[in-house]
Amino acid sequence: MNIASPITLAAVAVMAPLATFLIIGLIAPLRRSGKPAAWVGILGATTSTVAAALLVVDGRSDILIADWLGAGGKFFASIGFQVDGISASMLLVVSLVAWCVQVFSLGYMSDETPAGLGRYYTWHSLFLFSMNGLVMSPNALQLFLCWELVGLASYLLIGFYFRKPSAGRAAVKAFWITKLADIGLGAGLVALYVLTAKASPDGLGSFDWSPQVAQAIGTGGATVVAGLFFVAVMGKSAQFPLHIWLPDAMEGPTPVSALLHAATMVAAGVYLVVRAYPLFQAAPDVLLFMTYLGAWTAIFAAVIATVQTDIKKVLAYSTCSQLGYMVSGLGAGSLFGGYFHLFTHAGFKALLFLGAGALIHAVHSNELTDMGGLWRKMKLSGTAFILGALALAGVPGLAGFFSKDTILEALHASGQTVPWLMLLLAAGLTAFYMTRVVALALFGKPGHHTEHAHEAPASMLIPVLLLAVTAVGAGYMGGPLAKMVGAEYAFHWSMTGIIATSLGLLGIAAGWAIYGARIVTAEQLAVFAPIGNFIRASAVDRSAAWVYRNAMLGLGSGIAWFDRYVVDGVMNLTAWLAMSGGQQLRTFQSGRAGDYVYAVLVGVVLLVAAGLWNA
Amino acid sequence: MPTSAYLLLGAALFCMGVFGVLTRRNAIGVLIGVELMTNAVNLNLIALSRANGHLTGQAFALFSLALTVAEVIVGLAIVLLLYRSHRSVLTDSAVEMKG
Amino acid sequence: MSQHLLDFTVAAPAFAALLLLFIPVRAMNVVRGVSLVGALAHLGGAIAVALNYDRAVGGVQMVSTHAVVPSMGIALTFGVDGWGVPLLLLTAVMLTTGVFASWNVQPRARDFFVLLLLLTSGVAGVFVSLDLFIFFLCYEIAVLPMYLLIAIWGTAKKVEAAGPFRFVWKMLDVGGKEYAAMKLTLMLLAGSALILAAMLALYTGAGSTSFDLRHLAMTTYAPSVQTWGFLAIWIGFGALAGVWPFHTWSPDGHAAAPTAVSMLHAGVLMKLGAFGVIRIGMILLPEGARDWVWLVGSVAMINIVYGAMSAMAQKDLKYIVAYSSVSHMGVVMLGAATLTINGWNGAVFQMVAHGLMTGLFFALVGLVYGRSHSRWVPDMGGFANKMPAVAVFFTIASLSSLGLPGLAGFVAEFLVFLGAWQSGQVIWAVAGLVGAFVTAVYVLRASKSIFWGPGPSEQFHDLTDAHGTEWVALTVLATALIVLGIWPRLGLDFIDIATSEYLPAVAQQTLEALR
Repeated sequence: MNIASPITLAAVAVMAPLATFLIIGLIAPLRRSGKPAAWVGILGATTSTVAAALLVVDGRSDILIADWLGAGGKFFASIGFQVDGISASMLLVVSLVAWCVQVFSLGYMSDETPAGLGRYYTWHSLFLFSMNGLVMSPNALQLFLCWELVGLASYLLIGFYFRKPSAGRAAVKAFWITKLADIGLGAGLVALYVLTAKASPDGLGSFDWSPQVAQAIGTGGATVVAGLFFVAVMGKSAQFPLHIWLPDAMEGPTPVSALLHAATMVAAGVYLVVRAYPLFQAAPDVLLFMTYLGAWTAIFAAVIATVQTDIKKVLAYSTCSQLGYMVSGLGAGSLFGGYFHLFTHAGFKALLFLGAGALIHAVHSNELTDMGGLWRKMKLSGTAFILGALALAGVPGLAGFFSKDTILEALHASGQTVPWLMLLLAAGLTAFYMTRVVALALFGKPGHHTEHAHEAPASMLIPVLLLAVTAVGAGYMGGPLAKMVGAEYAFHWSMTGIIATSLGLLGIAAGWAIYGARIVTAEQLAVFAPIGNFIRASAVDRSAAWVYRNAMLGLGSGIAWFDRYVVDGVMNLTAWLAMSGGQQLRTFQSGRAGDYVYAVLVGVVLLVAAGLWNA
Repeated sequence: MPTSAYLLLGAALFCMGVFGVLTRRNAIGVLIGVELMTNAVNLNLIALSRANGHLTGQAFALFSLALTVAEVIVGLAIVLLLYRSHRSVLTDSAVEMKG
Repeated sequence: MSQHLLDFTVAAPAFAALLLLFIPVRAMNVVRGVSLVGALAHLGGAIAVALNYDRAVGGVQMVSTHAVVPSMGIALTFGVDGWGVPLLLLTAVMLTTGVFASWNVQPRARDFFVLLLLLTSGVAGVFVSLDLFIFFLCYEIAVLPMYLLIAIWGTAKKVEAAGPFRFVWKMLDVGGKEYAAMKLTLMLLAGSALILAAMLALYTGAGSTSFDLRHLAMTTYAPSVQTWGFLAIWIGFGALAGVWPFHTWSPDGHAAAPTAVSMLHAGVLMKLGAFGVIRIGMILLPEGARDWVWLVGSVAMINIVYGAMSAMAQKDLKYIVAYSSVSHMGVVMLGAATLTINGWNGAVFQMVAHGLMTGLFFALVGLVYGRSHSRWVPDMGGFANKMPAVAVFFTIASLSSLGLPGLAGFVAEFLVFLGAWQSGQVIWAVAGLVGAFVTAVYVLRASKSIFWGPGPSEQFHDLTDAHGTEWVALTVLATALIVLGIWPRLGLDFIDIATSEYLPAVAQQTLEALR
């Protein structure tokens, strides 16, 4: 197929959302009209999706760059589009999920005012533009530019309900934590530039992530750069201990959580590692750290997810946990494993969030206890949600199984036994908490609103069902995807796969036994309440809040006081000295003419005396 | 008469003038003291002019006289204004320049 | 034509100011009209200069000379280099938007505009002056009207007596507008005294024949002149650039000043200080600069972090923005101290970016203050419900302030950090990045407290969105921020020319090693 050049398609995919952003954003009447603005936004997303699909089918690679920053008349930084297997497939994932979410929002946000809806789609278009720009980045600098822009879109969308104080807090917190981590990416870029500048004959640095660059800067340089990059990855992809913003980010509308905080934006960190993998490969220390940190995050977040009562919080911690999987897989040296899991996870996690959105929309509550028994009312959404849950739990044949298996195999193959065991345990826990959610929300005791609940409208159902297809089928795309990434993949059963599957099934069985079949009573469960409370107390979050309140704000107040009363005080003291000196001297000025004549006389006498003395 | 006699008279006049300026509280008295001082200087100018045989000193004295007239006019005008604003011609009453 | 373009551009506002003196005070619309025409003529001139500047040739262009005191070698010489073009444009944009922002200034609008226009002529004169004497003269013209502008049209804020020096409160009205105006003027004039001394040393050191900067630049000064002259110039001009610890006029001055004055002062005048340090200090006294960059850079580092931390603790909106200027001017000085091409490019770019950003900030602060009659952030909340457009513009300014890519602030800061790391001072770059994070903390916190949340409360009943002429300043400044952020070469291509010309003599290394 040869419809248009790859660059044209990439440009269309990136620029279409920009165009819709500008159209909705700048034309106030359109924005305030609500639905029409929404349709314009969806049109942009559709265009991107079609272009991305054509790009994947096309299969060619190409690059187009424009000089962006320079020094001494030469240029060292550029922006543009890089089309290859990784960017094309990621572009399709992003655009497709964004399309699903935007269509879903038509139904989900139907209670919103027209002006609010217009604003919602403005930010969505901005997000899609930034995310597509990030995906198509030809170098680390452009990725950083778009990285920050998606952070902005995330901030705006989390704070969409800006009248709600908790939404404001969550939005700002998300921005702060990721910005704190982005110090790493900024410093990493600067370091990369300086190191490459030293190595290059003309003294100009670059922001490329090619193997040649990795070779030029050596292991020491690559460790610095990759290590600094990874700090930003920890922030964006919610790795321990910088994961604390992600659960709070659920304050945003549920479709936003699906798109940004589950499927695409949080995966940007993983995508950065995938793109800059030559640099990471040259830094074994960083990879080792990633393996352990990812595994720890996977299990840590999974444990927390088991005790959450808010359906979105469960899914948020689950996202942290799955991102930990990806990071760990990449750390173990499996580029494809990490990327494959990103790919499948985007589908089923978006499905879970949208499915959860349908449930929330039906009962107007996020609490699992308010749901219950929704299965009878919402067969289609319920089925889709269960499919997503099974895919996440790693049931053989569904998407999550294949990608998780790849990561576990990679860890096993690289001999990382401890992280491998942690991830296996996390797999069991994942199956457990997802079963718990399904049992509580869809089956179990009916909640207050269950009676009035009804199936979601078509605009919500279509995206959900489409994503359900990916949750089932994405796993079988492993082969073609591997080819696009430049790896090889063919599934076969192994010891690891069998253990993981058994643990997953065990988790499902345990979850169902406790929360579905209720073979243990509530009183018996209450034994574990202290543990649950301890986990819910979220020590990391509290420590961060403490540091912010006491260390940062305290230091700020101290410095401000010092500035006002000591630094400025010295300036005031100077003025005071001058003025009080004047106060002392003013007594000489009696104002009486006679006194002045005396002074003149004394002066004359003194002058004459001095003259005679010297003569 | 020796020149020194004129100079002594001039010095005496000058000292009286200074004494008047310093001790008088009445502005007119101060003014008279100033007059005595200038006239002492004039006397010196003329005496030294005669002693040296130059006319410059005398010419200068004439200038000085003319200036004195102007000075007295300004001085009296100030006294008059002082009286108008303070209802008094005592110098102690005008201490607006006190720091 | 082109040799008189700079004369015209610089003189246009001053001429309009002169014209205003003959217009009756009551004729408000005529006063506004003449001011606007003066500002637009200045802007037109600046644009013409930019278009006329031949980037392929580079160097100083459009030179015009009028002898003033030939016996002393003083001449009114104007000429524009690669730095002059963007800075002149910045000045013109700030003046034009400033005129719009003070459309309804009261009382004595005519006198206000006279001073504003006069000051701008001074600023523009500094940026294009090729004669040290005229440079200094224009500098003083730019600085002195501030006293009246703040003392007459300013607003006061009481500062509580505390601290080790609390006895001074008996004598000083700390926080009052006369206090602020006087502090600003005295501190800057103390700086001027140092500059004057250094200027005379430069003049005599170069043979007492000419004040021409090009002549002075060819002179190699004695080591003592280099060392002490640079120090005097750094402190002297640095006082205006807000260099720590001589920055304390800035928060009080900017907080007390009326909107347009804050815009121009923080937006352009502070840049004169930094420009003076680079253009006079570093370029004329390269050895002195190399002796002292460790101090200049370290103090700039303090400026960045300390200014940001101080801003974080402020509750008065104007003080937040004023302290953010102290912090961001630190980035300019840091870039200058790196003595690398990226650092200098970044420093000059930051002058432009920060000028636009802080101008937008102060315009918005003025707008919010004018409607809410409050500057106290903790009282505010939910303003976005009543003034959504203002909220959007405030967010844009905030984002540029914290260095978000896509806005001008990012490019400047990034280049400076590149330069800092390249100069071997990794800690400078790290401090800059930390400063950017702290900036994110305080600007977003302020933005959230003012605009987000439910409300606004009863106390703020007459909030309305921007309207009429107010849109002009907001739109122009925000657009400039975005355009320069997306396509920085619009400014950088000019800046880079001058940097490449001036830097090699200062850094005394090959250009290759400096990139």
